[in-house]
Amino acid sequence: MGTSRRTQVFWIAGAILIIAYAIVPVLWIVSLSFKEGDDITNNAFLPTVWSWENYRTVFASDLFTTALRNSVGMALIATTISVVLATLAAYAVSRLNFPGKRLVLGVALAITVFPVIAIATPLFNLWRTLGLYDTWLGLIIPYLSYSLPLSVYVLAAFFREIPWEMEQAAQVDGATSWQAFRRVIVPLAAPGVFTAAILTFFAVWNDFVFGITLTSSEAARPVPAALAFFQGASQFSQPTAPIAAAAVVVTIPVVILVLLFQRKIVAGLTNGAVKG
Amino acid sequence: MVLEKKSRGLAALLLAASVVSGCGDGDGGSTTLTYYIADAAQAEVAARCSAESGGAYTFNVQRLPNTAAGGREQLLRRLAAEDRSLDIVSVDPPFMAEFANAGFLRPFTAAEREQFSAGVLDGPLKQSTFRDTLWSAPLYGNTQLLWYRKSVLAKAGVDPSAGPVTWDQLIQGATRAGVTVAAQGRRNESLMVWVNALVSSAGGAILQPGSENVPAAEVKGGLNTEAGAQAARIMHDLAVSPAAPAGFSTAGEEDSRAAFQAADGGFMVNWPYVWAAFDSAVEEGSLPANFKDDVGWAAYPRVDAGTGSAAPSGGLGLSISAFSSRQDLAVQAIRCLANERSQKDFMKTAGNPAALASVFDDPEIRQLFPMADEIRTGLDAATPRPVSPYYGDVTGSIQSAFHPPGDLSPQTTPEAANDLLEDVLSNKRLI
Amino acid sequence: MSTVEAPPRAPVAARRPRRIRLTDRARHERNLGWMLAGPAFIAMVAVTGYPILNAIWLSLFDYRLTDPGDREFIGLGNYATILGDGLFWQQFGVTALITVVTVAVELVLGFALAMVMHRALYLRTALRTAILVPYGIITVVSAYAWAYAFSNTYGFVNGLFGLGDFDWFGGTWSALFTVCVAEIWKTTPFMSLLLLAGLAQIPDDYLEAAKVDGAKAWQRVRRVILPNMKAAIMVALLFRTLDAFRIFDSVFIMTAGAQGTETLSFLAYRQTISRVMVGLGSAVSVILAILVVLIAVLFVKVFKTDLSQQRGER
Repeated sequence: MGTSRRTQVFWIAGAILIIAYAIVPVLWIVSLSFKEGDDITNNAFLPTVWSWENYRTVFASDLFTTALRNSVGMALIATTISVVLATLAAYAVSRLNFPGKRLVLGVALAITVFPVIAIATPLFNLWRTLGLYDTWLGLIIPYLSYSLPLSVYVLAAFFREIPWEMEQAAQVDGATSWQAFRRVIVPLAAPGVFTAAILTFFAVWNDFVFGITLTSSEAARPVPAALAFFQGASQFSQPTAPIAAAAVVVTIPVVILVLLFQRKIVAGLTNGAVKG
Repeated sequence: MVLEKKSRGLAALLLAASVVSGCGDGDGGSTTLTYYIADAAQAEVAARCSAESGGAYTFNVQRLPNTAAGGREQLLRRLAAEDRSLDIVSVDPPFMAEFANAGFLRPFTAAEREQFSAGVLDGPLKQSTFRDTLWSAPLYGNTQLLWYRKSVLAKAGVDPSAGPVTWDQLIQGATRAGVTVAAQGRRNESLMVWVNALVSSAGGAILQPGSENVPAAEVKGGLNTEAGAQAARIMHDLAVSPAAPAGFSTAGEEDSRAAFQAADGGFMVNWPYVWAAFDSAVEEGSLPANFKDDVGWAAYPRVDAGTGSAAPSGGLGLSISAFSSRQDLAVQAIRCLANERSQKDFMKTAGNPAALASVFDDPEIRQLFPMADEIRTGLDAATPRPVSPYYGDVTGSIQSAFHPPGDLSPQTTPEAANDLLEDVLSNKRLI
Repeated sequence: MSTVEAPPRAPVAARRPRRIRLTDRARHERNLGWMLAGPAFIAMVAVTGYPILNAIWLSLFDYRLTDPGDREFIGLGNYATILGDGLFWQQFGVTALITVVTVAVELVLGFALAMVMHRALYLRTALRTAILVPYGIITVVSAYAWAYAFSNTYGFVNGLFGLGDFDWFGGTWSALFTVCVAEIWKTTPFMSLLLLAGLAQIPDDYLEAAKVDGAKAWQRVRRVILPNMKAAIMVALLFRTLDAFRIFDSVFIMTAGAQGTETLSFLAYRQTISRVMVGLGSAVSVILAILVVLIAVLFVKVFKTDLSQQRGER
């Protein structure tokens, strides 16, 4: 397709505009997190003096550091289990014929549709009966059920793209379905599994509703829920700048993942999505 | 004047210093008490008490969310879960009846009641008792004062130091002088505080007498009255007058303080913590060093010159979970956590007034809080928010019906609010 | 926001050669199928199945958590209360408004983003990286960022546009505007990536042909690009609509529901968590779930959003 210089300039301008769109609000919260004293209310984008004070404050606070540990730990565990279970399930639904296959997919779809807030209260009642309330496990389990559909769909798409003949060839060679799965499909699907893991991590990392309804102490409270516990100089003030610093800290993993794996993430979100 | 807080700075206050030692929950033989605190300064007192106990007990300190409603929701869930690991909880007084009624709290015995109420001012004491039983040991009491800038008085033609002033005088005076009257118009618990103070000062009550002992559906509201109309009128008049600070319908305590500190600040109703907060602002450089010289204080404004003022009542009480397996140890710990020394420390660090009358006679406190006498008088005369096992619904309905203040009308608001309140309590409407 | 944004995937069975009789191999395959899919299935059903049924059951009671003794079966009474309350319909309206406005803006904006990503030869990596940041950022963080940006105490927005101390959160419309801005910023990238995939599959020949025929840029968009992207657009709209309808985090952080900005998820939160009216709150949740399912059905049946089309399983 012919691309004149003028049209390229147009597209580049568009690209710069979009990058600004995506980045400016993030820069704003970063800038706010470096403000101190009078600067916080200076109604300007940038601080006059850049200060690490807010970062020292949040990292000196058990409230934040334990929440960060909870968030990281629970997100990693939930992501790992979710992706393992999803890999198995996605292989089954994309490659095997078995009764109830549609049921599995139907349930997965139904879960993505059901409002989280509707689950939270009955789950709270169930958890307090079972003693899972305010524990890591009590959050990891709902994270699993809410992230599994996503992983299953992403992985099923990858499995379908794996050359079918290779598995058949393996089976002809005398391998069972399981062996074919392990020796042929797993290595080929590894990149897909990886993408599913990143997307699952984002989803779990983002949780707020479960975090505020299913926890009540530092035992399991994740960062998004912990931000509401920050206190300023009096019990009436929300410390704006330290909250901004905490917000920046929890955004760093997201930015790192995006920087390292943008190609895979885009592929995971789009690949196979609308292929004709 | 140097408050202890200043030396530690924001960092120390934000720090939820978990004074953890020993093992966590579980075994009945443990001497670690799980202590839910609402204010960061409580952690420092806890650390001292734990050290003084000589190993009798230590604390696992846990924070509550930084809003009153958030703290209530958190405790409610945890207590409803009959969590055995939860021992001492900090309860915002209006929510106490709800917890007590549900069987979540361990009542104090007659002997303990005598000990924990000796020398406690009337306001904090009233809000710690429900159905003639003490459920909370008052840790601090709180009441709002009228704060004013001395420099605007002449122009406004109002002098609170000369005698009680009414809301109407304030609004008119501030308008005349081109300054603001800061109050909390934000839709949260602070709006409820304001409505309650206005209705009470006008001689009414949000709930009709006797409502603490009847089922939710039979509770009757007292808002569809002259007092309710007065409250709606004053809130509306202030919100639409030139004396309302910008962002009136979203202003909480800190926004009010910011409005008062601004160039056109004139009057403000707020808790005594602002006095210490002015110091911090001066130290940060956002206020001139002599700012406090211009600040005066007086009793909370009245609705009518003829009626009494009904200053808001707040504070914090320490209660023991009914599900705790270390209740006796918890009582022992509260003896230290809420004693005179602790209340004094707490007043110095957090700026929140003690519940014990004797603390106000302490020379150090009198020097730090020149308005100590006004606070003590206010606490004694303070009118608690309605005592009800269904307080959550009561405050929710009031916050819904009396917001935004600028849309209120003395003709329609009282009836609408009263209907909403009663309908919500009888499960006929949503909030 | 829901915890998970579902990708536009359709449940589609891979076509296998039809088998005449159940061979050993087929039986083995059947067992293996459940062995592999079973754990995930159980994990999904165990956690959501019981709470959903429990919510439906509890919604038939007048039940206050702090008043367990007074629990009383009232049939559909809670539903009658909710549907007969103006507040429900007002919040339904707010939710619908937020949904329609944000999804519509996201579609237009997302399409523009997708076009640029598709066309720009330079800055491709930077562009895709940048666009993924709002996608991956925590919704609560995004809500704080925007709430502080619009705040008349901390923010830069008023200073930038010379609005003085205008209080964005003091009026219904301006508060809703800020919530919509935060939502749109956060979720447009998701929309644009789905649209990009649709865009990428339009054969260049089509566009060349249209160009040769003398079609202007706008005509090419309208006559060639959009019709060929219909499936992608519908799927993107479906998933974003379902998600937008459940909006909670941003409202909770930015306005706390004041000034009439409460949404249906917020209504459910207030009844169950704040008021601990478990029965009433469960009924709100069930109604919300039914509405979400209705939207999904509407898209699939009426707008003929054919999910299986997306997989190219023809």
